[in-house]
Amino acid sequence: MKKTIYIFNDGQLKRKDNTLYFETEAGKKYLPVEDVGEIMAFGEVTINKKFLEFASQKEIIVHYFSHYGYYMGTFYPREHLNSGFMILKQAEHYMDQAKRMAIAQQFVSGAARNIRQVLRYYNNRVGGLTETLNIIDRFIMTLDDINDINRLMAVEGNIRDHYYKVFDKITRNPDFPFEERTRRPPRNQLNTLISFGNSLMYTIALSEIYKTHLDPRIGFLHATNFRRFTLNLDLAEIFKPIIVDRVIFSVLGKKMITINDFESAGDGIIMKERAKKIFIQELDAKLKTTIKHKRIGRPVSYRRIIRLELYKLEKHLIGEETYEPFIAGW
Amino acid sequence: MFVILVYDVNVKRVAKVLKTCRKYLNWVQNSVLEGEISKANYEKLRTELRRIIDKEEDSVIFYTFRTLKYSSREIMGVKKGGEEIFL
Repeated sequence: MKKTIYIFNDGQLKRKDNTLYFETEAGKKYLPVEDVGEIMAFGEVTINKKFLEFASQKEIIVHYFSHYGYYMGTFYPREHLNSGFMILKQAEHYMDQAKRMAIAQQFVSGAARNIRQVLRYYNNRVGGLTETLNIIDRFIMTLDDINDINRLMAVEGNIRDHYYKVFDKITRNPDFPFEERTRRPPRNQLNTLISFGNSLMYTIALSEIYKTHLDPRIGFLHATNFRRFTLNLDLAEIFKPIIVDRVIFSVLGKKMITINDFESAGDGIIMKERAKKIFIQELDAKLKTTIKHKRIGRPVSYRRIIRLELYKLEKHLIGEETYEPFIAGW
Repeated sequence: MFVILVYDVNVKRVAKVLKTCRKYLNWVQNSVLEGEISKANYEKLRTELRRIIDKEEDSVIFYTFRTLKYSSREIMGVKKGGEEIFL
């Protein structure tokens, strides 16, 4: 599997000797271009057109983040997997209310059932989550009857509210109280962690979409609009609980990230570089972890599971097989 | 799979060999590179190198591992290169 490179230092990223080259004041480093799948730039990285041409050619996707660690944008190279047929199918499923609902429901149901899986695990470990589990179960039961996108989004929001309410019980870390979900900017440390993890998840989903015929601009749960990619947001819903949230619980549980790793900036709280690196390291390791896939019967990484999810969606769109979301079994 | 590549070639071809290897593997120290590589890329790298080197004079050795599970890596002295995902 190709690697993801995370750039924190300031420097120049270039094409040199037909490979990638990163130069800083402190030193220089060649990166094997054939083994790089995506680059995430957090530092001040200088690039030129020659580099972008090379990235396009090698199908390397570049995500960039602001000084505060917020997602800013993506260099999405020219589509290499073009399929007019798939775009038409995607649009058809978006325009037809019933077809769109069918897919959107699966995304919400997948997200909710994965949330339930995470809660179940922590209910066994720390207890006290049975009530929330019951509430979420009841919400899941109602999902099939909803035939309006806005109501579906509302239910999804409700599920998440109930889920976030028990975060304190799971983390058991008085330094990181949940309080309430705040975004843009997040106003406490736990919220900052959640936001940071989610934005990474969105970019990872986007990178995987790039490797399929799907168009990231047409989402189903999230409304397609003029300005941004939405299919990756849909996809990320399913994986946020089992990937991002689990990493958050793990870094807080092991006290790898502490309260001192944050600082305030303006209205919000941001993470210091050390915390970002630790979080990314754990997330990267998580994505590489392999599990035995029920249907395929051999070990596959979490990252691969995200891609498989897109293949299932493609099959649904062309009418071969009805889409069912991935639900973690543990 | 994982590859450790070492080469000993005539100085005329050193730059060429190094540049080619750097596209696929991480430079570790003089004449040594290593890294995760796909089967297809391994073939590509071998083909490219075969075109560059002189069979009579140069030598390139590939050590390949299916997994690194039963291996360990220890560095004595200075760490000169190697793989890094954080830059």
